[in-house]
Amino acid sequence: MDFVTLGGDLLGTIPLGDIVLYINPFNLFLFAVLLGFTFLIAISKPETQVEASKFNTLGVAEVKVDEKEFRQRRFLSIICGIASAGAMITGDLFNFTLFMALVGILNIGIVSAVKQTSVLNSAFNYGLIAMMCSLPLFGGAAIILASTGTLSLAVLSQMPASPMVVFGAILMLIGILGESGVAPFFASKAEMFRTPGSPFIVIIHLSSLFIIVRAVEILLLVLW
Amino acid sequence: MNLMANILIQVIIAFLAGSLLLGLHRKIMARVQRRPGPPIIQHLLHSLKFFFKETGFPKTVSKPFYIGITFILALIWVVGVIAGPVAHDSLLILFGVYAVYKIVEHNSGSSSGSPYGKLSCVRAVLSAATELPLFAAIVFVYLVTGTMNIGEIITYQSVHGPLIYTIPLAALMFFMLIITKSPYSPFAITKDKALISGFETEHYGLLRGFMHFSESIAWYVMLWVFLTIFFGPLNAVGYLIGMIVITFITGFINATTPIFSPNHSVMTQITIGAICFFGTIVMIFTGVVA
Repeated sequence: MDFVTLGGDLLGTIPLGDIVLYINPFNLFLFAVLLGFTFLIAISKPETQVEASKFNTLGVAEVKVDEKEFRQRRFLSIICGIASAGAMITGDLFNFTLFMALVGILNIGIVSAVKQTSVLNSAFNYGLIAMMCSLPLFGGAAIILASTGTLSLAVLSQMPASPMVVFGAILMLIGILGESGVAPFFASKAEMFRTPGSPFIVIIHLSSLFIIVRAVEILLLVLW
Repeated sequence: MNLMANILIQVIIAFLAGSLLLGLHRKIMARVQRRPGPPIIQHLLHSLKFFFKETGFPKTVSKPFYIGITFILALIWVVGVIAGPVAHDSLLILFGVYAVYKIVEHNSGSSSGSPYGKLSCVRAVLSAATELPLFAAIVFVYLVTGTMNIGEIITYQSVHGPLIYTIPLAALMFFMLIITKSPYSPFAITKDKALISGFETEHYGLLRGFMHFSESIAWYVMLWVFLTIFFGPLNAVGYLIGMIVITFITGFINATTPIFSPNHSVMTQITIGAICFFGTIVMIFTGVVA
C-alpha cells in the first residue's frame, strides 16, 4: 500500500536517508489544524470557570488559573501541539512512537499543576495506563524493526506483512490506545477535563484524537 | 467547472439541503409525537436569523477560543464538502474532519466558563466511543475495496455492486454515527436538555449562526458519505431520496426513544460497535464477504 492510496495525492517529500517525511492532503490537513490550534493556545488566556459554591444558596464560585500555573501550562500545551504536529507528518515509525510518548507525558504535565484532587487522581490513573502502554508501543516498533530491518513507512508500505509485523502492529495499536487514552481507556482521562483552562485541555483531546487518526493510516500502511 | 465555483455551489447546496433536512427531521419527530411541529423551512430561517442578531460575550470566556472555535467549526465542514462531494478525496480526511468536529464540540463548551458547557465538554470526551465504530467501518470499507479514495470506492461499487450488501454490519456502525449526531438523538449526551443547549449554551447571535450553518453542512456531508460509500454510484435524485429516507428513519427513532444516561449511551454504542465489528470479521473469515 502506498501513501497516495490512503491520504490522497502526494504533495511533497523531504528525504532523509531512507526515512522520508511526506505530505499528502490528509497529513497536511491534520498538520495545519494542529498548528492552527497551537497558535490559538499561544495567544489565549484561560476562561473563568463558574461553579456552584454552597448547597442551598444562590452563590457561585469563580475558579481561575493563576499566572504562574498559566505560564507553565501554556508552555507545555504549545510543546504538546508541536509534538503532535510532528507526529502527523513523520515518515518514520520510531519517530511516531517517540512523539506519541512525548504527547502522553505532556498530557499529564498540562494538568499536573492544578489543585483539584479529582483531576489529579485522573491524571495519576491516566499516567499509570500511559506508562504501562509505553512497553507495547515501543516493543511493537522494535519487533517491526527486527523483522523487516527498517522503520521507514515508505519502505514498510511496499513490504508484505509477515506474522511478526502483524504482531508488532497489534502491540503498537494497544500502546497507542493506552497512550492516547481513547476507548476503552478514556474513563481514566475524562475527569482531567473538569479543570479550568480551556485552551490547554483542548490540546489534550486534540493530540489524542489526531494521533489515533494518524495511527489508522500508519497501521494500514504497515499491514496492507 | 471552475474549482472555486464548484466549491461555492456545493457549500451552498450542502447548507440549504442540510437545513431543510434538519427542518424535515423536526417535522417528522413532531408528527410522530402527534404535534403539528414547525414548518420544514424553520431550521433554515433560524440559521439565517442568528446572523442578524446582536452578539454578546460573557465576561468569563476565553475569548480567542470562544470566537475562533465557531469559525473553525464552519471551516472544517467546508473542508468536509471539498474532500467529499467536490474532490471525492480520501475517506481519512473526512475521518480527520470528524475528529476536529469532536474537538470543537468539546472546546466551545469549555471555553465559555459555563458549568453547562463544561459538563457538555466532559461528556464529549466520554462520547468518543462513537469514533471507534467509525474507524472500524472505514477500515472495513478499505479492506473490501482496497482504497480510501471516495472516487475509487464509487468505481468499485459500480462494478461489484453496493457495499451495503457486502458489509452490512459496517454500514450499521456508520449509521450509528448518523443517529448519534442527529438532533434529539438518544446518544446526544452532549446536548442533553439538563445541560440547556450543551456546548452551544453560551454562544449567541452571529456565533450561533455559524454553529447552525455548520450543523446543516455536517448533516448533509455525513448523509452524503454514508450513501456514497455504501449505496454505490447515485445520481442527484438518488441522493435526495436517500437523504430524506435516512432523515425520516432517524427522526422516527429519536421521536420514540428517550435520551440515555452517559453511561448507558457509551455502553450501548460500544456494544453495538463490538457486535458489528466482530460480526464483520467473522463474515470476512468465513468467506461471506468476497
